[in-house]
Amino acid sequence: MSMEDYDFLFKIVLIGNAGVGKTCLVRRFTQGLFPPGQGATIGVDFMIKTVEINGEKVKLQIWDTAGQERFRSITQSYYRSANALILTYDITCEESFRCLPEWLREIEQYASNKVITVLVGNKIDLAERREVSQQRAEEFSEAQDMYYLETSAKESDNVEKLFLDLACRLISEARQNTLVNNVSSPLPGEGKSISYLTCCNFN
Amino acid sequence: MADLESLEKLAGVSQPSEGVGGARCSEISTDLIRSLTELQELEAVYERLCGEEKVVERELDALLEQQNTIESKMVTLHRMGPNLQLIEGDAKQLAGMITFTCNLAENVSSKVRQLDLAKNRLYQAIQRADDILDLKFCMDGVQSALRNEDYEQAAAHIHRYLCLDKSVIELSRQGKEVANKAEENLLLVLGSDMSDRRAAVIFADTLTLLFEGIARIVETHQPIVETYYGPGRLYTLIKYLQIECDRQVEKVVDKFTKQRDYQQQFRLVQNNLRNSAPEKIEPRELDPILTEVTLMNARSELYLRFLRKRISSDFEVGDSMASEEVKQEHQKCLDKLLNNCLLSCTMQELIGYYITMEEYFMRETVNKAVALDTYEKGQLTSSMVDDVFYIVKKCIGRALSSSSIDCLCAMINLATRELEADFRGVLSNKLRMGFPATTLQDIQRGVTSAVNIMHSSLQQGKFDTKGIESTDEAKLSFLVTLNNVEVCSENISTLKKTLESDCTKLFSQGIGGEQAQAKFDSCLSDLAAVSNKFRDLLQEGLAELNSTAVKPQVQPWINTFLSVSHNIEEEEFNDYEANDPWVQQFILNLEQQMSEFKASLSPVIYDSLTSLLTSLVAVELEKVVLKSSFNRLGGLQFDKELRSLIAYLTTVTTWTIRDKFARLSQMATILNLERVTEILDYWGANSGPLTWRLTPAEVRQVLALRIDFRHEDIKRLRL
Repeated sequence: MSMEDYDFLFKIVLIGNAGVGKTCLVRRFTQGLFPPGQGATIGVDFMIKTVEINGEKVKLQIWDTAGQERFRSITQSYYRSANALILTYDITCEESFRCLPEWLREIEQYASNKVITVLVGNKIDLAERREVSQQRAEEFSEAQDMYYLETSAKESDNVEKLFLDLACRLISEARQNTLVNNVSSPLPGEGKSISYLTCCNFN
Repeated sequence: MADLESLEKLAGVSQPSEGVGGARCSEISTDLIRSLTELQELEAVYERLCGEEKVVERELDALLEQQNTIESKMVTLHRMGPNLQLIEGDAKQLAGMITFTCNLAENVSSKVRQLDLAKNRLYQAIQRADDILDLKFCMDGVQSALRNEDYEQAAAHIHRYLCLDKSVIELSRQGKEVANKAEENLLLVLGSDMSDRRAAVIFADTLTLLFEGIARIVETHQPIVETYYGPGRLYTLIKYLQIECDRQVEKVVDKFTKQRDYQQQFRLVQNNLRNSAPEKIEPRELDPILTEVTLMNARSELYLRFLRKRISSDFEVGDSMASEEVKQEHQKCLDKLLNNCLLSCTMQELIGYYITMEEYFMRETVNKAVALDTYEKGQLTSSMVDDVFYIVKKCIGRALSSSSIDCLCAMINLATRELEADFRGVLSNKLRMGFPATTLQDIQRGVTSAVNIMHSSLQQGKFDTKGIESTDEAKLSFLVTLNNVEVCSENISTLKKTLESDCTKLFSQGIGGEQAQAKFDSCLSDLAAVSNKFRDLLQEGLAELNSTAVKPQVQPWINTFLSVSHNIEEEEFNDYEANDPWVQQFILNLEQQMSEFKASLSPVIYDSLTSLLTSLVAVELEKVVLKSSFNRLGGLQFDKELRSLIAYLTTVTTWTIRDKFARLSQMATILNLERVTEILDYWGANSGPLTWRLTPAEVRQVLALRIDFRHEDIKRLRL
């Protein structure tokens, strides 16, 4: 597949405290790997994965950012062009959950108002060390109008689902936008039955 | 008693001379005696046996005589037994003692040997120390001699220096690491004196010296380490050197932060960006510090790259036979050392602050350029476009000079934001003020645009100091802005190309790892996409100009077509020939209006505008034609008029306008027909190269404009 051969291109940026497993989520999704002893990310990492959703090629540009404070000004510069943000915390680390409001303030300040934000609680393979209950996280995400998903990059739980559901949402959002912006000229391929609405299941 | 038996045997053996036949049996066997039958023979045997008996008896007597002595010997022997056991134990003890003594001697002698070695080394060390002292003495001597202008003395000292063992000089270099500390601290002190030339980058220079010092140590020690420890050990050496390096870097950066008020400046900038600052920082004041920080980072990157190259090539040699796992483990160690060292972390922190400050610098300077915008007569654009792009280029260029790809990408992202949101907003607001028209109906528009001006300047948080003093100036402002927008679009494309070529050099050095190029390309393509946004804005502005300035003017001119009768006789037709009733004046008006735009718009925009104008003329003219009525000569007149108009418009546009006027030309053809049925010569199979742009219904509609054509004939047509 050539570089330009895609129907949609979306930018997804992962943010959240250091050590919550952002890089592992990205590696698991893009390379099917779980690198143990992953060092801290420096600045930002960049991965591309093209997926097919209902016959449409969707190119996902995934920006994996460093969680450490000293890289904040670098990572913030990527918020504006992001179509989606994956805000990640570690279910075994109360602190990473408590920092979420701070991250939301950053999103408010720097991201586009059309951005889709998904809250992800990672490391559910360490259930015995859980510090943040699912209910608490769900209530929080509901109050903030975000989608919530629990994942394990190690066991590969919900990782595919996270990115594919997000891609589905981005597609339907993109379609809605073009419909609103220019009603008279439908997208090529718009005549197809609108099955993408049923392909996603957000919990 | 077994012992006795053996003793008897022993005695028998010991006296072979006495017992002549003692050891042997009698010569006469029992069988022989039994076989004897003769008396004589018996007697003879008997005699011999008696003789033998006597011998045996004698032997027995002798043996019995010995019994006493043997017994007494046995007793002595019995007494000797325990003594022998004692002797054996003593012997064993003695042997153990001898071994122990031997080992002890061995130990002692090896210790002595070690001591000897140590003593030798000590002597060497003392010798070296003496030599070094000599060296120092020589140096001091040379210096003082030179000071006293005692050149002979100085020469003597130099001679002595030259006599010194070369290895002393070599050795003293090993202490350089420590010496470096002094050297570098010295420079720090010197820094305060050097208030002029390199003062602005003194901390970057200090770091450079430190890195160069370490690089020199690595250079000189690498062969030694390789010779004595083998390849693959450089990592260990550098690991220890890096600890010292980190210590020194910490000192330098601490001093830098204090002396340059780095944290303080950052905090002020942060507050300024959040609009909560008590005092505003003058962006120009940040200029030197931003340059220094990027230079510091560039030096660190260079140094870290040097270490990475050296260590990995050393590992490569050392690991040539190693397993993949070992290689990966080594790679991990290397990454860990270079990524986690204090130097890396400190620089990342400094760069983090730098980006925020550079963003502020860019934003504030752009705002200033906008506020100080001036327009010079004869120019198409105003000063702010060049200024803004100069600033953006400078900021991105400075980020690039840090050699950090993440820093560069962040600045490209921020520049994209600045251009797309802020600066495009400024231009968009200016265009929204509209192009003031001069006709009566637009006095109202003038009022609304004045209100718009008020609104947009309030939204921007400041008043446009220049204001709009007259409609002429407002017109000019609009046109200049259009040019500005176009140049912005061009400049962004140029900026993208420049950055691309600037960075190929950086990437060819392998900076920033494998992803660097992909990251950079992605950020740059976002920047390039802003060019299209400016192009869209240009189109919006042109559409606005066309609909509010061109159309209201052109429409009345076209409408006068209606007041010219096209139902004319020969005489009028000839009269029209001499005194053109419409088209010449219309062309003149168009020319006048467009000349105003031609002078003040860039060729590209002017072209787009004339294109819009010709479309407008074609559409509007078609409308009035459909409202008119014609006879044969009137049709001919219209055909002449249309040809003149097309001929004129062809001269003012760079591309063909025939297409836009295709429908009108076809209408003119229809209006020129002799009879209704003549249309069939041009229609359907007879159309030849002509492609009809009119539908059959429209053809009938146009035919019906001819008052001399009968409706039934038109209806009867089969099209």
